This record gives sequence, C-alpha cells and structure tokens, in this order.
Amino acid sequence: MLKCGMSGSQVKVFGKAIQALSRVSEELWLDPSEKGLALRSINSSSSAYGYVLFSSVFFEHYQWSTLENVNDNDRSLYLNCKLGMKSILPIFRCLNSFERNVEKCTIFTTSDKCKVVIQFFCRYGIKKTHTVCFQESRPVQVNFEKNMCCNTLMIQPRLLAEAMVLFSSNQEEVTLAVSSLNLCLKSSRGESAGLTNSVYSEMIIGPDEFDLFQVGLDTEITFCCKELKGMLTFSEATHVPVSIHFDFPGKPVAVSIVDMLLEANFILSTLADDPGGAHSPPLLCLSQARRRSHRRRSDSKAGVGGAAQAPECISRKAAPKRLCPPGTPAKNSNSKDWARANLDDIREASKSCASGAEDDRGSFSLRKFSSMFFGAVSSDQREHLTCPSESLATASDSDID
Amino acid sequence: MPLLTQHVRDENRQYCLVASLDNVRNFSTVLKAIHFQEHATCFATKNGIKVTVENAKCVQANAFIQAEVFQEFRVEEESVIFRINLTILLDCLSIFGSNPMPGTFTALRMCYQGHGQPLMLFLEEGGVVTVCKINTQEPVGTLDFDFCSTNVISKIILQSEGLREAFSELDMTSEILQMTISPDRPYFRLSTFGNAGSSHLDYPKDCDLMESFHCNHTQVNRYKLSLLKPSTKALVLSCKVSIRTDNRGFLSLQYMIKNEDGQISFVDYYCCPDEDIPESES
Repeated sequence: MLKCGMSGSQVKVFGKAIQALSRVSEELWLDPSEKGLALRSINSSSSAYGYVLFSSVFFEHYQWSTLENVNDNDRSLYLNCKLGMKSILPIFRCLNSFERNVEKCTIFTTSDKCKVVIQFFCRYGIKKTHTVCFQESRPVQVNFEKNMCCNTLMIQPRLLAEAMVLFSSNQEEVTLAVSSLNLCLKSSRGESAGLTNSVYSEMIIGPDEFDLFQVGLDTEITFCCKELKGMLTFSEATHVPVSIHFDFPGKPVAVSIVDMLLEANFILSTLADDPGGAHSPPLLCLSQARRRSHRRRSDSKAGVGGAAQAPECISRKAAPKRLCPPGTPAKNSNSKDWARANLDDIREASKSCASGAEDDRGSFSLRKFSSMFFGAVSSDQREHLTCPSESLATASDSDID
Repeated sequence: MPLLTQHVRDENRQYCLVASLDNVRNFSTVLKAIHFQEHATCFATKNGIKVTVENAKCVQANAFIQAEVFQEFRVEEESVIFRINLTILLDCLSIFGSNPMPGTFTALRMCYQGHGQPLMLFLEEGGVVTVCKINTQEPVGTLDFDFCSTNVISKIILQSEGLREAFSELDMTSEILQMTISPDRPYFRLSTFGNAGSSHLDYPKDCDLMESFHCNHTQVNRYKLSLLKPSTKALVLSCKVSIRTDNRGFLSLQYMIKNEDGQISFVDYYCCPDEDIPESES
C-alpha cells in the first residue's frame, strides 16, 4: 500500500517529472519502495530509459508497506503498477497553477485494487479526486554504472537548454564532442549531410561554464535530443545541475540530476561508430526509416545492462563497435538463435554470460539489459538483434541498483 | 460618429430595428459566449436583443443584451425575429481585428428593414467605415425548456473563478458530466468517467466562492459532456454563474457577464439530462 502527500510546490516538481518522462514513452511505472517513490519509463525501441526517484523525505508524508504474507513469487513486494501517460499526464497538465491553487496532493494505492487515487486539496476548500486504473506489470529497470564512465560533465541546465535552442526543432539528434579543451555541441552529421538546405550548427562550451568538467576520453557521441530536452526542463524546475556521464560511442549516455530529495537518470543509447565507411552507413540508416537507427541503438543499448561488469565491458569494447550493415541482419547467426529463444532460454543465457561469454557480439547480446517489449512491439526482429529479450523482471530480482 | 448618422438619418424610418454602439465589443463578446453552432435566431423587442443557439434539440444557449447597453436602440414593431449565420455575423463584427489597440474602439450601427431583408452593419474605426450586408433566413422555432422557478430543486450561485479551470480541464474522453447536488456531503460534485478512470470535483457549500447554496434533496444528473463543454466560453467571460436543476433533471446555467463599461449582460444555457446511461459508479 502506498500513501503519500505533497504540498503544492512539491506536486509541481512531481508533475514536471511526469512531463519529462512523457518524452520517453507513453507508459509510466509507479514503483514505490522504502527508499521512496520511483517513476520509470522506457520507450518502445528500448533506446531510452527514464527513472526518477523521489525519496521518502521529499514528501510531506510517505508510507509504503507490503503485505504481511509474502507470496513465493514475491509479487507483493512490488506495486506492479503501469499507467498510461494518456491517463496520468492530463492530471498534471496545468502545473503553473498548482503552486497557487493546490494546498495538498495525496496519492494512494493498493496493489489489489489496480487503482491509483490522486487527490488535490485546493484553495477555497475545493477537492479534486482522480481515480486512475493501472495495469499490473513488473516495473522496468535498467542498471547503468554512470560513475564508471570516463567522462563526467556537470552544468547548470539553463546553459545547456539555451545551447539546445540553437538547434532547429526538426533535428532529432545531437552530437556531443568532448576533449580536454572543451565541449562541442553540434548537429548530428547523419541528419544534415545529403540535404541541400539543412543547417549545421555547432556550439562550443568552454570548461569554465561547467560545474564539473572531467574528461578521461576524447570522444564524440550522438543521441536523441528529445529526452535530453525533457530532462533539462525538469532539471530547471528542481534547480539542480545536470550531469552527463558517457564514454565512447555505442555505450549509453546517462543524463542525471542528484539531490538530497530526488534523483533522476535518463539513460539514452548512443550511435555506435562505424570504422568501415566514413558516414555512409549512418546516412543510410538515419535518412531512411527510423527503425534502422533504432536497431543500431538497440545494438549499442545492449551495453546498458552490463553495468555490473563495467570494467570487462570496456576492455572488450576497445575496438569501436561495428554497425550492422543494413540488410544483413538475417545473415547474423545470432538472430536465428535469438528469434527462437523464449524468455527462459535467455534467462539461462544471461547467467552464463555473467561468467564471461566468448562471443564478441554475444557478450553484449546476453547482457542483463533487455527489451521488455521483445516481439510484442516490433515484428521486425532485426531491431533487437543484439538486444536480447531477457525479461526485465529478472533485473529487478538482482541486487544491482 | 457624425459620418454614419448623417448617412442614415433619412433612412431611419424604414428600419424596424436600429441599434448603435460606441464599442462593438460590448455586443460581440457576449455573442462569442454562445457561438457553438453556425446559425442563431435573433429576437429583438424594445427591451433588448436575445440571440439563441441550439444543438441536438438538447441544449440551448441564449445571450441577452439589454437596450440600455446600446447608445441608440429602436424597435419599431412588437418584435423583430430573424435567423442569421452567427459565424459570419461575428466575423463582420470583428472586421477591424479582434485585438484592438488600447483606447481604440470600433463603433457599430446595426439596421434591419424587416422580413426578407439583410441585416446591415456599419462599422467604423478611426474614420474607416465598413458596410456589411448579411442575408437573413426564416426563423425556426426555438425550444422552450419550460424551466420555471417553482420546480427548481437546487440553486447554486458560484463565482466563475472557481469553475473556470475545472471546466477547461474536464476529461473529454468521458461521454457524460455527472452533477451531484446534495444538502449533505459532497454538496456540489462534478464527475467525469473517462478512459483512464474517474474524476470528481467537489465544492463544499461553505466555500468562499459559493455565494449561495440551496438544495431541497439530493439529485444526481448526467448530461452529455460534448453538449455542455461549449458553455466554458461563457464561463470564462463571466464573473458569476448560477446553476439550477429542476424536478426533471433539466439544467439551467446562467452567466453574468460584465462588459468593458461595467454593464451587465446575461447568457444562459439549458440542457436536458442524458437518459441513455445506465447506473454507473459515482
């Protein structure tokens, strides 16, 4: 059972978190624990994951209790609450009026009723009660050791948001090129090359603009900016600086804000390098159907779950990860195996992986991170080539957090 | 506006309706509050003008602009009635633009010769005159909701400020708006039942925004949300709203709108309850 209460200004921050997570996906998991209330979201191509944890001290009052008798499948340990963004986002739409009008907000739910009750106690004694139905679903979880990354930058969100404004809104991706001298934010080459009337933008930010500028590896990563913008807006609302943790291309980037009361992490996959042919594969993939780029993202995304064994992860990936050439995935032997695999097989496979699988591609394909939506979302299995379908339910069993 | 009065002085006698306003917005704003259908029926007597819009034979909105609001108001016959395209009428009334410079006013002179004749609008701003002629149609009968005060079960007068945000945030995926008025808790409750779940909005009877609250016995009535949603326009413009329901469950919403000169106009909405919905959760 979850029971928590917030003031008007706290619920505004809570609502901002939901708005930021709505940039990631159409679904939201409410995942309370003793630590606090976590909101989780993952997109359908598994290339972006958002997580916001409001610690129990963030709330005016917070109570989370599990059932007395724990079942052997430990379902009762989790709320297992998945909400549609369409249901919950409208409730937190007009946030600016919350500070003025809302005196208190309470959230109450029990897992047996499959309903979340959100009440707003407003000015003049007006009370709003929203009852939202949820689907029972184990929360997604992605483990990523952001502190193990070579590069860590911390910057005031306003500065980064102003830089992002320079990029035209139809540019979906952004490239971050970092060296010990500076950070260069630029339009993703793949998108702009080949179009005669496109604009290429570049902005250089010197190290003194950052609260922390720690560069261990000169590198250039490209990722989707939609989720980044969502995180920046949230970060401005919380007045906490945003940190970016990343390594080489192909390994995910973590954008996070950490504060005493809350912690937010957006884990975004990055495009992997192609050593073979300057820009043509990226061009091909990006200018054509987005699916291909999603597929490549899933490739690189495979590294996300390798958090627990990050050092091994890095050493194996000394050579830049190859892109899947378009049209060849069918030849990849893995895909056949993977296509046939059911969830149990893959769980087994991941256990053997933990001890160090040999196959180069397999080492990432069998990492802990996997798509919750294997098969269900995409009929194109090439998309999840090296992104195995291990149920995320198992990840939450592990003690890696 | 010497230009216009000189122009029409000789023709005054042939018009059965003549109305002049120094500020056309005192008229157009009130009409916007009921603009949810293309066509409207205009009904003028020596007391003023009433404009009526209906939908689905279930909802009716009326805008009343009293004769005192106009600088000149003359109705030669007992009553003058015609049907007109409200969208076009509003477009013409705002022909000089809907966002005026502060301090500028558009003057209006409205003339109607009678049955079969077009409605003439003379609009003037800064010396520029526009003349509009809008064709009128045969009036069709308007519904009589037969809402009389003796049958009123509940009457609430609220300051519009309290309802404005609530109405604009109503869950449109809900087909109905359920209104519960009771002498006991929750006193006044608006509920929607949408795709995601239900929402209840409760106003206590001692709420600061509640100017008066009378309720004989508990009533729960359901109305089609799509029919009532247009009343949000009137709510936004108004300072006060009166909500009444009668023994048949018919709803009457009356909005008091103050114009830029502090004069009062009224808009009311009548809606009949939705019978189709079976007993649902409340």
